[in-house]
Amino acid sequence: MTDARPTPQDPLVKHFREQSQSEPPAHLDALILAAAHREAPKPKPNLWQRWLRACQQPRWQVAFASLVGVALMLALVQRTPEQLPSYDFAPAPKAAAPLAKKEAELSTARSLAAPAPAAPMAESAAPMQSESFSADMADEAKVSKRAAVPVKALDEQLREVIHLQKSGQAHAADKLLADLHKRYPDQNLSARLKALQKN
Amino acid sequence: MSGLKGFISQLFAGANSHEASSDESLLARYREGDGAAFEILYARHRQGLYRFLLGLSGSTELAEEVYQETWLSLIRSGSQPQGRATFRTWLFQIARNRLIDHWRKHGIHQPMHDSYDEQTHALTDEQNDPEQLLSLSRDSQRLEAALQALPADQREVFLLRAYSDLDLAQIATLTETPLETVKSRLRYAQQKLRRLLAEEVLT
Repeated sequence: MTDARPTPQDPLVKHFREQSQSEPPAHLDALILAAAHREAPKPKPNLWQRWLRACQQPRWQVAFASLVGVALMLALVQRTPEQLPSYDFAPAPKAAAPLAKKEAELSTARSLAAPAPAAPMAESAAPMQSESFSADMADEAKVSKRAAVPVKALDEQLREVIHLQKSGQAHAADKLLADLHKRYPDQNLSARLKALQKN
Repeated sequence: MSGLKGFISQLFAGANSHEASSDESLLARYREGDGAAFEILYARHRQGLYRFLLGLSGSTELAEEVYQETWLSLIRSGSQPQGRATFRTWLFQIARNRLIDHWRKHGIHQPMHDSYDEQTHALTDEQNDPEQLLSLSRDSQRLEAALQALPADQREVFLLRAYSDLDLAQIATLTETPLETVKSRLRYAQQKLRRLLAEEVLT
């Protein structure tokens, strides 16, 4: 059986190939190549190009913008500190009340130990102790203290006056009473003193 | 790492690998939108296809018309060679069918469909010495005349062998002819051509 493969040395075929000079005309080449380029399918865009095209469409722009907005909001919420000090200008009763009570007790103790100068010192010491707070907070504490002090401290100091008068130290009693008049100008100390003496 | 190297080598050797690609892969690239792939494919086959059509039809106008129709139908069809057919077989098959359609359409007698007795046209020509080959005519008109003197079936096989570079089995598939018949046609065609061209030199 003859081999179907082409014989490498096929002189007649080779002779025809070498001698043949006919070529397709140039205008046909140009026409065919132009048609090929004109009718070539458009290359399929890759994933990145498809994504970019999608981004250029209005409906996808809105969708992506919304998504980015939500992501930004979530990021901001996640990064917000949990406990920030509140800078409310309104007084905070729960926080101020214990402080006022403490200050009142401290003031009473000081007034008992050193009657005359103790109260002003106590008043001036309040802002120093609450060093981390603002001036407003300190004033609030002062107001609370002034409301609480007359109730208890004044009576005790008036009893001290009575005690001094009874023990014959009239001068000291007068001095303390005068001091109390200065500190509590709006109080009727005489009437209160008489009431205490009756009791 | 090897993938990166492969990518870089492809990047810098893109043009060379393009030209070294098979016809089938070039056509596939063209179908995906690579216009440059078609240019390479066209450059490979333009000459052979044109010479085949010119030799088979014997008419420049008809050859050009069928040549143009063949390429344009290939461009517009969007199909690929089916089965075991190569691109070359497929291309020449399209061209051959177009030419036969043209003959049928214009009522021209189809020479390749003649009932043909191979033996009656076979002249014993056992001479195949180099000296005789050297004396073959180099005149293109005489070569063309000798070709046209061949029976159509023999001429077709010889032209396919000369210009399409298909092997005999592929030619048998393309022409839907038994392989042994193709072999005998080619052999008779070569014998007659040698005789005709040698005679031309002598006269």
